[in-house]
Amino acid sequence: MGKQNGNGHIISTRHRRGRVGVVTRGSLVEGLEMKLDAERNVEDMKAGKFVVIEGDKNDFFSMVTDMRLDATNSEILLHPPDRSDELLRQVLAGTGTYNIVSLRPMLMMPKDPMSRDFDDGPRPVKAIPSHFSLVQEAEEEDVTRIFGKEGDAEGKYFSIGSPLDMDTQVCIDMVRFAERSNGIFGKTGTGKSFLTRLVLSGLIHYDRAVNLIFDMHNEYGWKAMKESSGKQTSSFVKGLKQLFGDRVAIFSLDPKSTRARGIQPDHEVYISFDQIAVEDIAPLQDELKLNPTAVESAYLVYAIYKDAWLRTLLSLEGPDVEEFAGEIGAHAGSLVALHRKLKRLENFPFMVKKMEGADCVDRIMEHLDAGINVVLEFGQQTSMLCYLLVANVLARRIHETYVKKSERFYATQRPEDKPRQLMITIEEAHKFLNPSAAKQTIFGTIAREMRKYYVSLLIVDQRPSGIDDEVLSQIGTRITALLNDEKDIAAVLTGVNGTEGLRSVLASLDSKQQALVLGHAVPMPVVIKTREYGEEFYKAMGAESVQDADTRREQAEQERELLFGPE
Amino acid sequence: MTEGEVTGTRSLESFVDGDGRFVPHSRAQEIDANAAATGRVGEVVESSTTTLIAEARRLHHAPDFGAFVRVESDGRDLIGVVHNASTQSSEPNRRPMAYGKTEAELRAEQPQIFELLRTQFEVFVLGYLHDDSMVHLFPPQPARIHSFVFPCPVEQVLAVTEDPQFLRSLLEATGLPTDELLLATLRHALKGRADEAGETKAGQYLVRMGAELSRLLRDDYDRLSSLVRRITSWGQV
Repeated sequence: MGKQNGNGHIISTRHRRGRVGVVTRGSLVEGLEMKLDAERNVEDMKAGKFVVIEGDKNDFFSMVTDMRLDATNSEILLHPPDRSDELLRQVLAGTGTYNIVSLRPMLMMPKDPMSRDFDDGPRPVKAIPSHFSLVQEAEEEDVTRIFGKEGDAEGKYFSIGSPLDMDTQVCIDMVRFAERSNGIFGKTGTGKSFLTRLVLSGLIHYDRAVNLIFDMHNEYGWKAMKESSGKQTSSFVKGLKQLFGDRVAIFSLDPKSTRARGIQPDHEVYISFDQIAVEDIAPLQDELKLNPTAVESAYLVYAIYKDAWLRTLLSLEGPDVEEFAGEIGAHAGSLVALHRKLKRLENFPFMVKKMEGADCVDRIMEHLDAGINVVLEFGQQTSMLCYLLVANVLARRIHETYVKKSERFYATQRPEDKPRQLMITIEEAHKFLNPSAAKQTIFGTIAREMRKYYVSLLIVDQRPSGIDDEVLSQIGTRITALLNDEKDIAAVLTGVNGTEGLRSVLASLDSKQQALVLGHAVPMPVVIKTREYGEEFYKAMGAESVQDADTRREQAEQERELLFGPE
Repeated sequence: MTEGEVTGTRSLESFVDGDGRFVPHSRAQEIDANAAATGRVGEVVESSTTTLIAEARRLHHAPDFGAFVRVESDGRDLIGVVHNASTQSSEPNRRPMAYGKTEAELRAEQPQIFELLRTQFEVFVLGYLHDDSMVHLFPPQPARIHSFVFPCPVEQVLAVTEDPQFLRSLLEATGLPTDELLLATLRHALKGRADEAGETKAGQYLVRMGAELSRLLRDDYDRLSSLVRRITSWGQV
């Protein structure tokens, strides 16, 4: 359907069903206000809902951010109609009493297909619609126009859910997602792990980045428990290894625990004392309760013994340490404290004096180079100290390798030298990236500048306010489940403009299966109902459907016959 | 044959019909015979742009308060609502006096006294019809004296009241018992709708008109709520 505009162009006039109101006031900076149509129920206007404002020349894709009840006359509010006064309430609805809905325009798109800008697709909002422009409910077509559709030719789009009250897909652009560091935030129990697993699946499925996952709670590699609210029975969902088979390798720090859960780890990880640098100890200050001079003392030891500094230090027994301090010219008390505290490291089963066999970092690099994603399970070694130490040691060395690789690529400029995009997933990220640690840990460096070395982070955290502002502002895409704390909300929205409206949206998300997605990989912030992580998803990810034992046996039999001929 | 002669030669019985009611005669009788055929209810005796006064065809038979009427004048149909009715002596110098008898007794004994009474009603002009649709403007010319007044049939009432503009016209008129008149006209409009389109449609109409009133009376919530409460108290239309 179309009609002629003044210039003789055909303007597409789509027939929408869901008129919700008209724009009455607003500004580009503060957002728009819409008067809700009298026949619309204000309870249907949820924060985060997606609407389209039909301006004269552009469609404005907008998000509902706030609602307000209002009345023309304060008398009405002083003497509200009785509950039995149904007629009076109906009469007042939309006239004496009315509802104002705040909208935040996110994108605009020319309506006229002949216009020069039409082919560029949705663009950031630089104008506002005129008075009394109609506001319509967004339709599937609109959502697709903005977010793309899964299964496009380039394989860019990956659906992570659907908009509120709609069945259509919201996709994130995986290419853009992998380009930068990303964050997944939310209070505990709001589905961060599910979101993370979903995003990782997307990255692996579309092969946009190879992943190194520091899996503190053992929930990504193999099965993970599904938290089912209300019901007593809890079920398990598939892990990445089950979905992607050979493309995922499980490394374990605690093989015993991994086996106890019925999983055979692909590799066991050991770290020798010689692999630990002073830089790896520095971020542990909080966990080990080291004082600042302790790190300086460590550097003194390092200056003499180089890589063997930790081994040397820990090989000393209590009384010898003071003497040792004298030898190297360190403050005795400080070195004794350092020694005492670092002794804890000896208790970790994965710490070995001397590396036997291949270095685990080399192993991990081999896998990553081959495009195999690595899940590093911590088993029962779930102490924060252990997690911080291991993640730091490994990430630092992988980072070094990547820097070298990238430099080689820059030198040769040969496509085959181009390193694979690597995404490192870390949980409890505020421990690595808090303002004091971010300057010391390797993760701070990666978050700030590693984009050019093909390494980015996937930060999973429940306390984003603990993360350094500088790091937060560099995060490309944020996927945020419910957050209540004002500081956390402010932190998540750091570096995003027009956040006023999003604040209320964030605080009003459901505690399950809802998330706000904003940033680099989506054209506009959007609230989604998270994609179901179940059979259908497994199938979409190309995982073998769940077969019973008989079918599997039959299939194996057939394959055997194919290989070796009939018996 | 003059009126006086006729009156003089009539027997007493001829003034009363089979049910004992007074039967008008002479001038009234002729008028009535014609009127009954056309269905008219009155005749304009005083006229201005905004209001007109009509004499009812039959004594005590003015149209209901708030009823919609049509006046044929200058080939144009003027539409108005009845906002006042009165009955008084047709002779300014003669006032009716109390007899201490019932109307039936009086009609039997002194039928002539009813001849000297007349019923008049006042009509507030809302607008006029143009091709069967309502124009909410005062007519260019007031109704002519001696134009006839007809009650509006249901379909005309529906057409006239479809647009809530008539509420505004009534609210803005001065010297009328506005609230009473609003309620009465709404009731007529509503009844017509309930009969024609059903209760649900009538209910929707009521909400629509209420919303218009709410807009018009936005500064006077007390008045609005009292009006709406009185409508609610009608209960079933």
